[in-house]
Amino acid sequence: MLSDIAFLFYFFSLFISFIGSCIMFSKIEIAFKWIGILLIVTFLNELNTRFLVKSLSIQSNGVYHFFVPIEFSIYTIIFATFINLKRWNKILILLVFLLVIIEILNTLFLQPIYVTNTNTMIIESVFLVLLSLILYIRIKESTYYKNLLLEGVFWFNSSILFYYAFNILVWGFHNWDFINPPLIMYDINAFLCGLMYLTFLFSIYLNFIQVRKLKN
Amino acid sequence: MTNRQIESIDVIVFIVAGILVILLMFGFILYFLISYKSKKRDYNLLEIQKKELDDQKKLLENTLSELRATQSQLIHSEKMASLGQLTAGIAHEIQNPLNFVNNFSDVSKELLTEMREDIKKNNIEDALELASDVVNNLDKIYFHGKKAESIVKGMLQHSRAAKGLLEKADINLLCDESIRLAYHGMKSKFMDFNVEITTIFAQNIPKIYIIPQDIGRVILNILSNAFYATIQKSKKISSDYKPNVTIKTLYDSSGVNVYIRDNGCGIPQEIKDKIFQPFFTTKISGQGTGLGLSICYDIINSHGGRISFESKEREFTEFNIFLPNKSNLVVKIPNNVV
Repeated sequence: MLSDIAFLFYFFSLFISFIGSCIMFSKIEIAFKWIGILLIVTFLNELNTRFLVKSLSIQSNGVYHFFVPIEFSIYTIIFATFINLKRWNKILILLVFLLVIIEILNTLFLQPIYVTNTNTMIIESVFLVLLSLILYIRIKESTYYKNLLLEGVFWFNSSILFYYAFNILVWGFHNWDFINPPLIMYDINAFLCGLMYLTFLFSIYLNFIQVRKLKN
Repeated sequence: MTNRQIESIDVIVFIVAGILVILLMFGFILYFLISYKSKKRDYNLLEIQKKELDDQKKLLENTLSELRATQSQLIHSEKMASLGQLTAGIAHEIQNPLNFVNNFSDVSKELLTEMREDIKKNNIEDALELASDVVNNLDKIYFHGKKAESIVKGMLQHSRAAKGLLEKADINLLCDESIRLAYHGMKSKFMDFNVEITTIFAQNIPKIYIIPQDIGRVILNILSNAFYATIQKSKKISSDYKPNVTIKTLYDSSGVNVYIRDNGCGIPQEIKDKIFQPFFTTKISGQGTGLGLSICYDIINSHGGRISFESKEREFTEFNIFLPNKSNLVVKIPNNVV
């Protein structure tokens, strides 16, 4: 029952975020456009996964072996835009390559295509938490923002930090207690993930309002 | 332990760890928000202070430009005032050649009348003699007319801005002219003014490159001060005081020294280091702008020279002006010498 509610909330959040992103896409700044693209890609991936599971009765695990590197690539573009430092662009490209290599090695030697790639997910989460901390430092360095609570970048970054720190815990537990993991953690994870997408949508909305104000 | 018990422990461990992670993240984000706010507040404070400083800077700049404008106006007034002081001296200088012109014109008129009579009587020799006298007179009229012209030119030069053109000039002559102008200027102001003027001019001084009207102003200014000092002293002490101003010029290979010494009231010790400062004056309000010596200092400096003085209160003051003898001197006219 709880699982159904959590996953329903997750899909509902993702759907709302997808719709919202599509509506505001043309009237937001480039970094937020990339967040929109991430939401759209995630939504399409989830549709694809459901289609594979429901219609073709194929396990969905394999999809994430491809999706995680793509998702991380989009995240790095978003972070590159927000951090806006040339030397960081190289580091971010390096991180993407590193994750792709880890994913390949993980698929070949540790978690084959029919098993969920939790190792890569943990590493991706660690990378994203680090990037989020770096973006916090960049925000603090600049005194550009008048009220952080009205800034999309703050909400986006906070949701990343919050969700992916928790994600490390979830997939860490999953790996540690693999045979009989507590199911509640997947429910909480789905719930938090849904919240993260809604926060993404909120950050896009804040940017949409800012852009509109500037135009007026 | 049963599987169910293990499962419950796992759930508890996960929930505790999850709560810890959530609290940690919340704590971090909260801390970040607070520290950002505090930094922003500091930054805003700095911005306000910067704005205030900018405003003050602008205000100071405005005040400075106003002060500069006032200063140049004052300098102009000082110059006009000194010109006014000279008027009596100049008038006296012009009066002499004019007297000559008038007298010689009268004499020439009489001579021409006599000549006409001689021509009527056919006394050609006398007429020719008279004609040569008239020619001599006309030469003298022309000479004195030119002298008056040169005085007027000098006065106009004094009132005009210095162009910074170096000319070869005779310092002794410049001193001589300045003495006469300053003396008559002072005489017109103080009717009972009397002073013994001693001139000791070195005869070996060559003409040196200076801006004559500027150096003339300097000598005139110091002489006027010297005369003024003797007047002040004569007002204070008994009648057996004999005011004296001595002007001495000396030459050596490096340049010309002009000494102007008076036996006036002297300069008190406590103001000795201030007399070259702009706007410093001991004269009562309205009698001096306090720019005279400051301008003198700038003029002499711009000629690459030196101005210094020695003084003993109630006894004497001696100014020394040194002007280098350099043909390649480039004079930088100071801003305040209009």
